[in-house]
Amino acid sequence: METTPLVEVDDLCKVFPVAGGAKIHAVEHVSLHVGRSETLAVVGESGCGKSTLAHLIMRLLDPTSGTVTLDGAEISGLGSRAMRPHRRKMQIIFQDPFASLDPRRSVGSAVAEPMKVHKTLSGSALDDRVAALFERVGLEPDQAEQYPHQFSGGQRQRICIARALALEPELVVADEAVSALDVSIQAQVINLMMDLQQEMGLSYLFISHDLAVVERISHRVAVMYLGQIVELGPRAAIFENPQHSYTKRLLDAVPIADPRARRERPLLVGDIPSPRWAAGESPERVELVEHEPGHFVAAE
Amino acid sequence: MATPLLSVRDLTVSFDDFVAVDGVSFDVHRGQTLAVVGESGSGKSVTALSIMRLVELGTRAKIERGEILFDAGGQLGADAAQSGGLVDLVKQDEATMRQIRGNRISMIFQEPLTSLNPVYTVGNQVAEAVMLHQGLDKKAATNRALEMFELVRIPEAKRRLGQYPHEMSGGMRQRVMIAMALSCDPTVLIADEPTTALDVTIQAQILGLMRELQEESEAAVIIITHDMGVVAEVADDVVVMNRSKVVEQGSVYEIFENPREDYTKALLAAVPRLGSMAGTSEPARFDLVDSTVDVTVDVTVGANGSDGGGSGGNGEGV
Repeated sequence: METTPLVEVDDLCKVFPVAGGAKIHAVEHVSLHVGRSETLAVVGESGCGKSTLAHLIMRLLDPTSGTVTLDGAEISGLGSRAMRPHRRKMQIIFQDPFASLDPRRSVGSAVAEPMKVHKTLSGSALDDRVAALFERVGLEPDQAEQYPHQFSGGQRQRICIARALALEPELVVADEAVSALDVSIQAQVINLMMDLQQEMGLSYLFISHDLAVVERISHRVAVMYLGQIVELGPRAAIFENPQHSYTKRLLDAVPIADPRARRERPLLVGDIPSPRWAAGESPERVELVEHEPGHFVAAE
Repeated sequence: MATPLLSVRDLTVSFDDFVAVDGVSFDVHRGQTLAVVGESGSGKSVTALSIMRLVELGTRAKIERGEILFDAGGQLGADAAQSGGLVDLVKQDEATMRQIRGNRISMIFQEPLTSLNPVYTVGNQVAEAVMLHQGLDKKAATNRALEMFELVRIPEAKRRLGQYPHEMSGGMRQRVMIAMALSCDPTVLIADEPTTALDVTIQAQILGLMRELQEESEAAVIIITHDMGVVAEVADDVVVMNRSKVVEQGSVYEIFENPREDYTKALLAAVPRLGSMAGTSEPARFDLVDSTVDVTVDVTVGANGSDGGGSGGNGEGV
């Protein structure tokens, strides 16, 4: 058992400039880690910075400040060539399986491409590997010759998972990867992801707005609000003993699929505030306090 | 039980050779919320658009057979009078439907941004509906719009009347849509995935608002959704659809606690329920019902059927 976490994020910030000198503070002083064979879920509402955080960890965006360490190596400052050997250790699955597959190439060639780019396999070994990947995600190997439009949304997401697994990554970032799927298909894809984690020791960074799904799949949970982590801890602690007012509000709002659990809620009105700050202004930094071992809560 | 406000009988709608809605029947009563639940392509949106008689506009859809009996309260002339106030919406011409649509039966769509006109202020758009249906002049209609904005609890309602859709958040836009839909005191409100595009805290606000407004107005609500959590939260009665047909219907308690059909059981087994993992620390697979229950959808059908019908209807608005 290795003791260093797979991913360590330290004091990560991302600020996007917008017109008029204002700034969007998308990710503010975020520190967290993802353990090996662990699922860390990042939850929050639109604009909270959860996808930006995922993209920073993947180095699809460069941070304004702070560091990302993957498997003991700091990757946040690396150039594209130096980054390359690290890229195969982490893969991403996006929300919309219609937009993340090229309509003009067969799905088999989409799954083969990462292995061609990284020159891990070629020839018949490559074909065999593609066939094995298709089988592993619950598709027929001979479907590899077909094109994306011939598949349903759930099948396409399975193809995206096969592609993400092609290089035997250690980290898979799932950015709302099951949000667009029908509920029965969603459950099947989540089961598949859990099986793959067991089998291959994968770590997941599971970005989602859906708390009921997160409760099912994650070991630990980070709650984001306006670019900051407001609460971070083991899944049971976050769901059964939430401490931050925003976490409580979020959990209270989830409709429960049980008519006897129907809740009377006060009729609130309000928009989610914007992470946009005028020139010269910036958000106040919040400190996380350890409420119980491993369970951190932002001071309010 | 009292006569239903709206009664759908054996409704069958086809797109060329594909039957999108097949023999669907259900009743909706005053002050009640009926949820029509199903997955993509199940025919739930086409059912809603058929009640509005929007389904045939700009599409190849055809209502093949069936009745949609609506208790118009004797306000629609001779036809209504001779059938004891009940009119069959399937038989009405477009002129009559225009008196009903947006006035007696109104609809809210999933994506409020595409349902609002980007070049008119939101206040203008709500006032327009009132002027058209209630014959109010511009000033009275604007006052009515303000009153509706306050009813749906839009903060700073007066200032918001003058805003354009892009200046508002998704939740505020959906409040505008609800204000517009309710501005003529409809007796039936059809809400097609009204909170699907919204964040969960905003969803809770909108569902709470719809429930409170319904209690005040005694309107019947038909909510179309794929989300069993939303169904459990708001519905009195539930119609479960799969592959164009009604698989099961009953009270919300019957459906959730004693589902009879395999499809309903499979659907419920796949729903993640908040709190179901209490007392555990490890993730857990879904205990899915036997995969012999066919819950997958033919993609081509989904694209031509429900999605095509949905977007065709969206363009028409309320």
